[in-house]
Amino acid sequence: MQDRYGIDWNGYAGAPFWRKPSINRRVFFRHLGAALGGYFLMPGRPMERVACAAVSPKATAKNCIFILLAGAPSHVDTFDLKEGPWTPASFEPETYGGVRFPRGLLPTLAGQMESLALVRSVRSWAAVHSLAQTWVQIGRNPASAMARISPHVGSVASLELRPHDADPVLPVFVSLNPSGGNPENGYLPPEHAPFYVSPAGTGLANTSHRDGATRLSTRYNLLLELDGDLRGSAPLGAGPAEMASWNAAARRLMYNPDVDRVFTFPVEERTRYGGTAFGNACITARNLLRARLGTRFIQITLGSWDHHVNIYAPNGGVNALGRQLDLGLGTLLADLKADGLLDETLIVAMGEFGRTVGNLNGQNGRDHFLQMSALFAGARIRGGRALGSTDDNGAMTAESGWHRDRDIRPEDIEATIYSALGIDWTTVRHDDPLGRGFEYVTFADRDLFGPVHELWG
Amino acid sequence: MGTLRPAAAVVCLFVGFVHAADCPFTTGSGESALRQARPRLQIAQRLSTLEAAFARRAVMPAAAPAIPRRNVIDVEIFNTLAAHNVTPAALSTDQEFVRRIYLDLTGRIPSPDDVRNFLANGSPGRRDDLIDRLIYSPEFEDRWIMWLGDLLQNASAATNVNRRVGGRDAFYNWIKGSVVANKSLKEIAHEAIAATGNSFDVRTGAANFAVSATTPMGPVQDMYDTMLVRTATAFMGLAYYDCLLCHGGRGHLDQISLWGSRTTRGEAQQMAAFFSRMRIRRDAAAQGEPLYNSYNVTNAPSGTYDLNTNYGNRPNRTPLGNVSNLTPQYRLGGTPAAGANWREAFAAEMTADPMFARNIVNRLWKHFFGLALVDPVDTLDPARLDPSNPPPEPWTLQATHPELLEQLARELTRGGFNLREIVRTITASSAYQLSSRYSGEWKYSSVPLFARHYPRRLEAEEVADAISKATGVMGNYNIGWANPVSWAMQLPETGVPRGAVGNFLDSFFRGNRDTRPRSQSGSILQQLNLMNDTFVLNRIRVSASPTLQAVSRLAGDGAAVDEMFLLFLSRYPDDYERGQAMEYLRKAASPAARNAAIEDLAWACVNKVDFLFSY
Repeated sequence: MQDRYGIDWNGYAGAPFWRKPSINRRVFFRHLGAALGGYFLMPGRPMERVACAAVSPKATAKNCIFILLAGAPSHVDTFDLKEGPWTPASFEPETYGGVRFPRGLLPTLAGQMESLALVRSVRSWAAVHSLAQTWVQIGRNPASAMARISPHVGSVASLELRPHDADPVLPVFVSLNPSGGNPENGYLPPEHAPFYVSPAGTGLANTSHRDGATRLSTRYNLLLELDGDLRGSAPLGAGPAEMASWNAAARRLMYNPDVDRVFTFPVEERTRYGGTAFGNACITARNLLRARLGTRFIQITLGSWDHHVNIYAPNGGVNALGRQLDLGLGTLLADLKADGLLDETLIVAMGEFGRTVGNLNGQNGRDHFLQMSALFAGARIRGGRALGSTDDNGAMTAESGWHRDRDIRPEDIEATIYSALGIDWTTVRHDDPLGRGFEYVTFADRDLFGPVHELWG
Repeated sequence: MGTLRPAAAVVCLFVGFVHAADCPFTTGSGESALRQARPRLQIAQRLSTLEAAFARRAVMPAAAPAIPRRNVIDVEIFNTLAAHNVTPAALSTDQEFVRRIYLDLTGRIPSPDDVRNFLANGSPGRRDDLIDRLIYSPEFEDRWIMWLGDLLQNASAATNVNRRVGGRDAFYNWIKGSVVANKSLKEIAHEAIAATGNSFDVRTGAANFAVSATTPMGPVQDMYDTMLVRTATAFMGLAYYDCLLCHGGRGHLDQISLWGSRTTRGEAQQMAAFFSRMRIRRDAAAQGEPLYNSYNVTNAPSGTYDLNTNYGNRPNRTPLGNVSNLTPQYRLGGTPAAGANWREAFAAEMTADPMFARNIVNRLWKHFFGLALVDPVDTLDPARLDPSNPPPEPWTLQATHPELLEQLARELTRGGFNLREIVRTITASSAYQLSSRYSGEWKYSSVPLFARHYPRRLEAEEVADAISKATGVMGNYNIGWANPVSWAMQLPETGVPRGAVGNFLDSFFRGNRDTRPRSQSGSILQQLNLMNDTFVLNRIRVSASPTLQAVSRLAGDGAAVDEMFLLFLSRYPDDYERGQAMEYLRKAASPAARNAAIEDLAWACVNKVDFLFSY
């Protein structure tokens, strides 16, 4: 069967997209012409968004927690354990219903195994940190034409999930412990930008006025008097003035006991989550979901997993980061399950690529590698298993474990997140500055990428 | 038959992590349009914000008096406006101008006396006189050292290399010495490209530019390539070399750069070959010694760009026909003389290349006008810039004002690449001095025509320094040196100080001179900080602020209010604002209460919309 570009895609299943057939210039311009012509023929105002195909998102999640394991963890030491003479005894590998797992390295997570789906047929497009990290966060090639205006997956989620009738107290998209290079809202309005917090449990900085709440309200009233009625509403009618909206959002955070409860937590709790910055972020994520103040998409960045050297150092390498991840995420899973929040929250933890397999390199480390794994939990996916498998040493996908029968790519994971959140991943928005059309998931109209619904099966 | 092949991923598998995130590689059409759209949209947004803030002061003459054409800029800008049938805004008022010129030239707001003196100056040449005075002021030095530090990406730590505080300081001091001595931009570029020596040594601080070519996880050719990319991006606006050093432009850059589409990988590598004798080695000094962790940049006596790599950050380099060692050839054809120093030869070729002058004036235009003539500034297309030699259909000249870019570039060359002189030319123009207010109907499509001045957000350092200067409470910023600095604009890099002040500055998006560029976006955090951060609250206390103490001693509420507005906003209040503020002060029953009211007024001034903008 040929698509509308006259290309039969069946022969190309599983091929990386640069090996896909390309369209020639004539076809390109014919379709470009048709698209432009069609645009002006559309009745009334052009639609803001068009869903290309009738798809059924899973819609089992209200929230998403995306944990970026920056620096690329070694998949064969964590979610796709491959044992060999290199494996430290302390990993204490164990089998859980067919899933081999380093219980010694990740004991708390092992205790939550029934909630976890370890996806082992994931493959990155690039073994270059900043590039691949951006790739998993925007779900497309950072060097592609749309990339520079492309929003973070969380910003798209914010756009879709932000209530239209009222402004939420907290931004929909909160990014905890950002690493500095994270992509942001792209061309989407600034209210969809990630709200960065590095929580320490001592409240949200600058949400109270040192000189007192009374003094602040006096001062703010003076400011309003000086500005007359200009501050609240812009007289131009072209939407609220940018600064007024930032200020209003800032004021909603201040002296708000609900906000204070989210960002303040006792030492015992911190200890329970590992007493680390990552643990603090996990507590904050849990509190954010409990509080229901508008936040629906939470990214937590944990790095750096770039263990080229001494990966098995007893108090460093994958041991140190594994401990942080284990106590933070493991405790988070347990708490969310106890709250009943886990069923409505999709949790994804992944790096930007994997690490070399087999024996360690000359510096007792592992280098960059395309094959990788991802951890999924929550949102009523079926846990206690691995999806897909790799060959003996973890270098290549052996069984893909899903209907497309090829490696799972960052684009597919992006589509999975959208599907879980009830977002039509084939959406194309036509409000981008280029007027080219912004696809939530690239090539979704050609069904090149799509969600891994097998997670629910 | 051309094909559109989405092969970006292939390439980027190999692109080094140093530049990967910045790789502007694309096959898609219209990327330029897309990248142009962003700064223009931002400008439209700022205009609407400021419009709202000033709506009350609506007295604008419907028919502006004739605007004098003062130099080549005005000829080009106003002719183009006339051709598009767009009326320019009126000239800025002296009050508008004085704040704008102080901020743009020195990064600091004027003091109340500066404003008063300027407004009282009846001389017809007062604006030119002020420009002259400011471009030879020490504050100008601070501001342009920061500008050059951004351009040359001086930071103690970056993704690809750690210069350490020692290298950062030596680099900073070299830049500082260059600006203070009014060294020409040509000389500065030449020294940066050709420098050798130790990176910690103040005398050879320029060598730190070469240190930034360090490229981990690759063969030495990757380092030559990085050096070319950094050099061409900063000094020629040609960031596309990053693409061309992996693959030829044909089939990749066809939609976005005519020059790029005609340039082959081999040609790009011959440019990089000028750096193939450069060596960056870590100094042998042991821990504890002064030069520990420093780098030595040297030139090897021989060597070529060898086409023999099979790993690293870029695709394999293999012989081109029977050529397996490339020697330098400049993009315009020049080759180094026998026995010449290749980096010196490159510096000489490059500073004589029209792209150097074009790049400098285009970047300066961006600084003063908010939107570059070719924006983004690193996407210049050499084949589409010369109006006397226009590109073939369907290409068009790239700059919004092609003739202006050429004339300004020539002006810069004629003036010996003197930064202060070209800055004088730009700021003395009527086009620069237009009001940001516009009385007619404003169309978004007019943005690239410069019919009015575009407001900009203050940069992070400017925000901090404006608060310090208005209150007279100076900073004491620890930068890892013996002597802390008191102005944010004097910081040697954008990664210091850390801690509370650093967070305050970061919220205004000062970037990191590596992966995060400066940005003029707003944010919730900025608003929280302006309202509540101790950086502000500690400074607006009368007990701490000498300027507010002086206000408190002034007789009469009217004088106090005027002084407050001049201190923070560099302008007099309008009648409405004055009435409201005086009423507020009048309600204070005791001297203590009056001081509290002064503090409240100071807080309100910092949080007023126009405080955060240069307009």
